[in-house]
Amino acid sequence: MAIDRFTGEHSIAFIRVEQLFDLARRNSLWYMAFGIACCAIEGLMSASGPRFDFDRMGVFFRASPRQADVMIVAGTVNKKMAETVKTLYDQMPEPKWVVAMGACACTGGPFREYPNVVLGVDQIVPVDVYIPGCPPRPESVQYGFMQLQDKIKKQTEDRLAARRDSH
Amino acid sequence: MTDARDIATEAGMLAPEGTHHPGLPPAGIRRAPEGVDGLTTEHLIINMGPQHPSTHGVLRMIVEMDGEEIVSAEASIGYLHRGIEKLAEHRQYNALGTLMDRGDYVSGIHGELASALAVEKLMEIAIPAKADYLRVLLSEINRIASHLVWFGTFGLDTGAMGQFLYAMRDRENLVDILEGITGARMMFNYVRPGGVLADLPAGMAAKILEFCSGFDKYIEEHHDLLGGNEIFQHRVKGIGAIDRDTALAFGLSGANLRGSGVAFDVRRERPYAAYGEMEFDVPVGSTGDSWDRYMVRMEEMRQSNRMIRQCLEGMPEGDFTAKVPRVLRPPEGEVYAAVESSRGETGIHLVSQGGDTPYRFHYKAPSLYALQALEEILPGHLLADVVMIIGSTDIMLGEIDR
Amino acid sequence: MLPDETVIKHILADAGQSDADIQETALGLVCTLAPSVVASALAAFKESELDFATLVDLMGTDTGEEIELSYHLRSFTRDEEIHIKCRVAYDSEISSVWNTYPSALMPERETAELFGLTLSGHPNPKRLLTTDGVEPLLRKSSVIRTLQEVRDR
Repeated sequence: MAIDRFTGEHSIAFIRVEQLFDLARRNSLWYMAFGIACCAIEGLMSASGPRFDFDRMGVFFRASPRQADVMIVAGTVNKKMAETVKTLYDQMPEPKWVVAMGACACTGGPFREYPNVVLGVDQIVPVDVYIPGCPPRPESVQYGFMQLQDKIKKQTEDRLAARRDSH
Repeated sequence: MTDARDIATEAGMLAPEGTHHPGLPPAGIRRAPEGVDGLTTEHLIINMGPQHPSTHGVLRMIVEMDGEEIVSAEASIGYLHRGIEKLAEHRQYNALGTLMDRGDYVSGIHGELASALAVEKLMEIAIPAKADYLRVLLSEINRIASHLVWFGTFGLDTGAMGQFLYAMRDRENLVDILEGITGARMMFNYVRPGGVLADLPAGMAAKILEFCSGFDKYIEEHHDLLGGNEIFQHRVKGIGAIDRDTALAFGLSGANLRGSGVAFDVRRERPYAAYGEMEFDVPVGSTGDSWDRYMVRMEEMRQSNRMIRQCLEGMPEGDFTAKVPRVLRPPEGEVYAAVESSRGETGIHLVSQGGDTPYRFHYKAPSLYALQALEEILPGHLLADVVMIIGSTDIMLGEIDR
Repeated sequence: MLPDETVIKHILADAGQSDADIQETALGLVCTLAPSVVASALAAFKESELDFATLVDLMGTDTGEEIELSYHLRSFTRDEEIHIKCRVAYDSEISSVWNTYPSALMPERETAELFGLTLSGHPNPKRLLTTDGVEPLLRKSSVIRTLQEVRDR
């Protein structure tokens, strides 16, 4: 491909539509602002603040699940909250991903012994990326998002490779 | 600064108070017109939350509306109930700070301090002077950091965006300082029964002083940016007023209580740590509306900044922790220790029956009482004001649900 | 900071409890009453010259035999505090004091829920923190998960 790096003028690129979609999805992971507990301050507020500024990665928060690609579960999910988490996940359009942020969302964290706490959000919704830490630093969340991007890329590549092999 | 109302009156938007046209609601008290002829209205129940970008956590408000006006409001909580009180009964006394950090997660030091003070009161441990000063220093740094989060999100609640970015810029600098001292950005576990975890690292005092001198200027910038905005003033002045009696009856504390005109500050009335030696003013509001609460919190940040300087100047030499056994076994007894956290009076009611875990650990959360008052003050306001009034009380769901 | 004991006794006698147990402990002045007179005693305290305008805190404790309720009152005009305690049996009914102190609304619901009590005279005696069917979690009989249960999740 001979694309002018700066303007893209007079250039033509040949790309599979699947890969184009994949490129777009990977670079506009809009997450749903769904801060449950402490992790929300680190993963949603600091992340959208001026220092870490996730906007530059195309990671941006949306207030409605209908407009979101990613759900960051940032905090302890208890039995009262579990139903809401499931409902919100169901409301998100496909394709969708879930990031379990922090020890609580991964396994129950420091509150795992309390009978009212759900032991990890993966008991309710399928989780793509686990970010450990209590709370994880914004850098960890950034790394988690990069892992998610890799995962999306790899899924597309695997699909294409499988089709190639079957021919 | 010119009062926004004067300008608006000149432009003919609002009639001056007392001269309003009969039949129209007076400015400031926004009430829907009563009994419009031939029309009956149906009440509408609106559910906000638990996933709502402006409820500061997982609060669910169920409001009954008559047109735009709120008839009744009910707060539904418990979406973050994770058993801090129950788990504390199974934790050693040293580990209580870990749970308290995650209670009021924006100002963790205050929670830790409250639990440490309760244990020290029970065991009658004498604290070195340096530890007291470090506790005050960290408390006040944390108070500014917490108030900055409130300041940023309160602006978001009223529809402004810019101040959030500036507030987060300053907060990141504070978090750097906190990280340098305690090793963590949010969950510090720095205040322990007997003292604190560590001394100030080398060069940290200069870094804090640098922040202080910068913050003197920044706080005025923040205030000009948000408080100087006429749209903001229109949205908060006279809205969400809590009078003195209501504030007392609903057990408010902290800036919410002081905004209503009661000059009660735990730091002054029941001095703990080194607050007895600090010089600071307690700002007090008059009408108890959202603007008063805003002004009180802004002034608290200036006072905190002042106290940080005093701490660094008067920092005594010596140990930063008393000699305490590794496993604490307080005698039987019952104590109540309170601190002035960013949100109000955070109290720990600790019952011990000997042994190395508490028998009962009760966390008195100031936000819970502020939330109850919301149910009382919201009726009569407009739906658009709900989010703003919630923001003005600075509630924290982590400590409400515990 | 501690109110005058004789005045307290006088107020309590008017409220119908003449032989109240008043002790000075590390907590402050603790006054133990029979559960039936707590509501009237709190109303009397609020109206008295001591002016206990605020209920700062309300908590329950499972003593192993019964539930101990503890009301923490504060007077802002006189800067005095008092703790009122009463002991009620498991699963019993407690009368709400929200008419006197509206700040008891949510703490009462919480205490009733987490200790398995029922509320009478409360405007909204629903569960506050947990969903239906959850056992009273703060009772000593309620156990937390073991490490093995967490591992086998």
